[in-house]
Amino acid sequence: MHIRDLPHADPGDPDVRSGFRFLVWLFRRQLGGQAKALGWGTLHMATIAILPIFMGMAVEAVVDDSGRRLATTGLVMLGVALVMAFADTMLHRTAVTNWITAAARVQQLLARRTAELGGVLTRQVAAGEVVKVSTGDVERIGWFVESFSRFAAAVVVTLGVCLGLIVYEPRIGLVVLAGIAAVCLSVWPLLPAATRRADQERSRSGRATELASDTVAGLRVLRGIGGEELFLNRYRGASQEVRRASVRNARMWSLIDAVQVVMPGLLMIAVIWQGVGLASEGRLGAGELVTVYAAVSFLLFPLRLFQEAAMAFTFSRPSARRAVRVLGLRRERPVGDGADTVGAVGADEPLSGDLWDPATGLLAVRGRLTAVVCGDPDFAERLAARLGGHPAQGDDEPSAQLGGAPLDEASLAVARTAVLVQDKDPVLLSGTLGELLTVPASGRVAAEEALGAAQCQDVLTALAQTTGDGGDPMGARITERGRSLSGGQRQRLALARSLITDPEVLVLDEPTSAVDAHTEARIADGLGALRSGRTTVVFTSSPLMLDRADEVVFVHGGKVSAVGTHRELLSGTAEYRSVVTRETEDEVAAVGATGPGPAGAAGPSGVPGSPDPNPDQNPAQGPAQDLAEETA
Amino acid sequence: MIGVKPPEFDPASTEHVTTLPVAGRTTVRAYVRELSLRHRRAFAVLVAVNSVAVLASMVGPYLLGGLIQDLADGETEPPLGRTLAFFAVALAVQAVFVRMVRLRGAVLGERMLADLREDFLVRAVGLPPGVLERAGTGDLLARINTDVDRLAKAMREAVPQMAIAVVWAALLVAAIVFTSPPLGLSVLLAVPVLVVVCVWYFRRAPAGYRSEAAGYAAVAGALAETVDAGRTIEAHRLERERIGLSDRRVGEWTAWERYTLWLRSVLIPAINVYHALILIGVLLLGGWFTLQGWMTVGELTTGALLAQMLIEPVGMILRWLDELQVAQVSLARLVGVREVEDDGGDASLVPGGRELAADRVRFGYLAGSDVLHGVSLDVPPGTRMALVGPSGAGKSTLGRLLAGIYAPRVGEVTLGGARLAGMTAERVREQVALVNQEHHVFVGPLRDNLLLARTDAADAELWAALGAVDAGDWVRALPDGLDSEVGSGGLSVTPAQAQQIALARLVLADPHTLVLDEATSLLDPRAARHLERSLARVLEGRTVIAIAHRLHTAHDADVIAVVEDGRISELGSHDELVAAGGAYAALWRSWHG
Repeated sequence: MHIRDLPHADPGDPDVRSGFRFLVWLFRRQLGGQAKALGWGTLHMATIAILPIFMGMAVEAVVDDSGRRLATTGLVMLGVALVMAFADTMLHRTAVTNWITAAARVQQLLARRTAELGGVLTRQVAAGEVVKVSTGDVERIGWFVESFSRFAAAVVVTLGVCLGLIVYEPRIGLVVLAGIAAVCLSVWPLLPAATRRADQERSRSGRATELASDTVAGLRVLRGIGGEELFLNRYRGASQEVRRASVRNARMWSLIDAVQVVMPGLLMIAVIWQGVGLASEGRLGAGELVTVYAAVSFLLFPLRLFQEAAMAFTFSRPSARRAVRVLGLRRERPVGDGADTVGAVGADEPLSGDLWDPATGLLAVRGRLTAVVCGDPDFAERLAARLGGHPAQGDDEPSAQLGGAPLDEASLAVARTAVLVQDKDPVLLSGTLGELLTVPASGRVAAEEALGAAQCQDVLTALAQTTGDGGDPMGARITERGRSLSGGQRQRLALARSLITDPEVLVLDEPTSAVDAHTEARIADGLGALRSGRTTVVFTSSPLMLDRADEVVFVHGGKVSAVGTHRELLSGTAEYRSVVTRETEDEVAAVGATGPGPAGAAGPSGVPGSPDPNPDQNPAQGPAQDLAEETA
Repeated sequence: MIGVKPPEFDPASTEHVTTLPVAGRTTVRAYVRELSLRHRRAFAVLVAVNSVAVLASMVGPYLLGGLIQDLADGETEPPLGRTLAFFAVALAVQAVFVRMVRLRGAVLGERMLADLREDFLVRAVGLPPGVLERAGTGDLLARINTDVDRLAKAMREAVPQMAIAVVWAALLVAAIVFTSPPLGLSVLLAVPVLVVVCVWYFRRAPAGYRSEAAGYAAVAGALAETVDAGRTIEAHRLERERIGLSDRRVGEWTAWERYTLWLRSVLIPAINVYHALILIGVLLLGGWFTLQGWMTVGELTTGALLAQMLIEPVGMILRWLDELQVAQVSLARLVGVREVEDDGGDASLVPGGRELAADRVRFGYLAGSDVLHGVSLDVPPGTRMALVGPSGAGKSTLGRLLAGIYAPRVGEVTLGGARLAGMTAERVREQVALVNQEHHVFVGPLRDNLLLARTDAADAELWAALGAVDAGDWVRALPDGLDSEVGSGGLSVTPAQAQQIALARLVLADPHTLVLDEATSLLDPRAARHLERSLARVLEGRTVIAIAHRLHTAHDADVIAVVEDGRISELGSHDELVAAGGAYAALWRSWHG
């Protein structure tokens, strides 16, 4: 696997039974890479371990007064050094490649899982948790995968050096072996406490960063109302607390540092003691003493790798667990026909016909613009979601039907193709305007038409100015969630996007709540014209929009209570009037006395529980098919 | 051809929309100088303890050199006990001082980092409201999140480690030369190789790492957006596109990883060769000198062991150098906030009344294209005025001018006869407040969220303000009342409750004039209706300029100004405008049936 071959064509199907199993799974995906890293790592450390021998030989040559041996030793050392340089480079390359291929694989797996879960995801797990996996945990998992081969190489070479020393000079070899074990064990007990402190510090510093960005996010409020000093002091407090925690944390690590100086130092003293004894007995030459000294100082290097591997492992276990929690999520309810793979177009025929919701009795006749007025916004939201089938929040209500077929029984892809539900808070995805408007669509509606109908002219002008060359607004960048635009501008662009899609049925939940009355009136006209002949359902309470609907359905108390045109309902249904014109009872009286037009005609309204739907206008509660035939 | 070219697409180029200045070299240097001066004592302590630690670590090679010398001289009973005692003492000193180095390094790094982030926030909260309004907070947020984070690593590790490594390397080279001056020659011989490669590397590395980091952030960013926009993605069947986008981002990021890996593939062998050259140079050159009798075997041994020790600090310097270079870019972005012109305003400018007036005001965001074309308006105290008109007509801009956030290009906006734009932000907000869709709830106790409007308010006043906006009941129902933690991470408040908090702040701040910009438009109609009652109570007795989306707001106003194309096209009461039969009348008929 090379980095240039990334992204993975298929990141595979991970083992999500546990964090550890996931790490093993990742490891098995790159056995070849791990083997290569192990090989180069072993070669690299072997060359480092060999150098002290030549240092000793060079000193020995000088002691023996041999210029030729000194020169030869120098030449061999140069050769070893070149091999070392090459092996070091290759170790780095293979280890980093392992890191990156593993990290890329986890990122791609996350992207697939989140895209497939769609609206269901945040119902099962907090959004922040998923993002945390992608920003922090992937790195830790990659770190473990990468450091593993280096760690293995260090173990191999350290054991080799100890074995060599034992064969070379058993007394010293055994001292060194015992010493290394002692060094490893001396640091080990400190590590869990140190990593715990590091984690605490990280969370505290995360809190300070959060406070800072929160203060900045609300800066306009602070500058507009006041309280800068209050928040600055608060932040200073948090910042100083982070500082103190970090220094406390450093205290722990400084202890580990000191132990790492003392333990090998004691080992060194023991070695010299033994070595000088041997040397004075004449069993060890001066050069060999240098070799032993240098070899022991070499061992400090792999020792540090042990520590790193231990840390990588302690850090990566919880990270892997978090990753598995996200990667193991599935849609709660199996999607019809087992076709829950994204974009799989089943054998299902495209759906069409009247849209009917059995729970409320809401009927949207094919090809018409139906407006729905619903006093309870939460209920409206649930109803809108149900009209698309496969609602994210499963309720016990029966599925909505399109042309007599329950949407929940069609595959997700077929249902979403037939009915597009634009929720109350549609998100503008970042990218250029052109990219934003490139969505799976029927192809019948051009972007210009949709933007025109949604009254986006001023947005286009504003965006064109941001392109620098003042040119094509389609190339202008929309920032995340469209934050650079006003609420009204965002709503209109979202509406344009839905219009381009041109689905069989378009359900819009409060599409113009942030748009001013002038513009809303024009949007209502544009919407009606562009969607003529297609089924459109608009949840709204704006008279400007209601006035332009073919039919208005008033949902009250969870059921359809009246159907008619806006004007009919306004004069005939008091409850409706009260919801739409936003008049509370006492205000109605006041307006009735002074207000213009039909407001006075309504008189005191809101007689409890007595909406008086005209029976003639009640929708047929029978199968939608019948009605479709009637209207056809 | 060997080598990897930098990828064509640079994620760092689109990482931030820079709307605020980035500091130039001189400003950054001046700031670094100021920061180092502030912490010169901590620096001095670090260098001192570090020097002791390094000197103690050199004792080993010296003692071993002495032993080797004795052995080479044929001594059979070298003074082992004394040597080992020295060794042990040196080890103890080294251990104690290594510990202090680590600690002092952390103290220095943490202090500098704390200064840096606090300095930044001090500057940020001092930004003129007009700059904030225009630049938005996105750029500032990116700076506090990304750049402070990047600097944290640099300050915590790179700066102290660099100081340690430089002292360490210098002392080692000095010790090698001190041991035997000719050995210094071998160090010098090896240097050119390293310098040439380092110049090549450091010319490319910082930009490479910046792009790589930006690329990685973009991978996470794409995923975060997919999570955030889950419903939209599902509704529009954008799953494939999102997966494709994430894969593309992974490709872009890894392309930069590949490039920086190539850079290191050149640097790593060079460092290895450099180390080997020093070691071999010391052994060969020193060995030859020893053979000539110009130096002793003991000195050769000491020199070789010291040369071996040089690996560590040189490696540290190289490792932290690119970290520091990347940090420099982040520092420039943080310090850049200092370069925003502070039009502090004239503290002596005091309004002589409450009458708000605009006189032939022209204003535009870009040179040469005005949004407002000569608007004149009089708002007597206590008036309720509604601004209506199509999107993009300039209603919001006019509202911001009347709230003193922007200064008109031509003409004047005055409050009680004094120029509003000339006053300090603190003075302006005593008089006028702008209420927009942004109902930020700050992380922390609910009390802080209210206190910001009047820092010295007692709890009774806070409760009174909450009561005035109908929020008393739900706040009392919170587990800890005013002490309840709200904002992200704490109790989540509904948008309507957030709005009530914002309104309670207004009650506390008590400005006599309010500019409402679509204050309730993002809320559910039902919630909005409830809030409007709270709002009505807040508005009582104040001058109100409401930018209205909903015509019933306009209906209730004393005066309605219809804004079209940056001009006021109709002005009058509801009844007058309906009678006049213009644009407003048409709209009203359509609205009200």
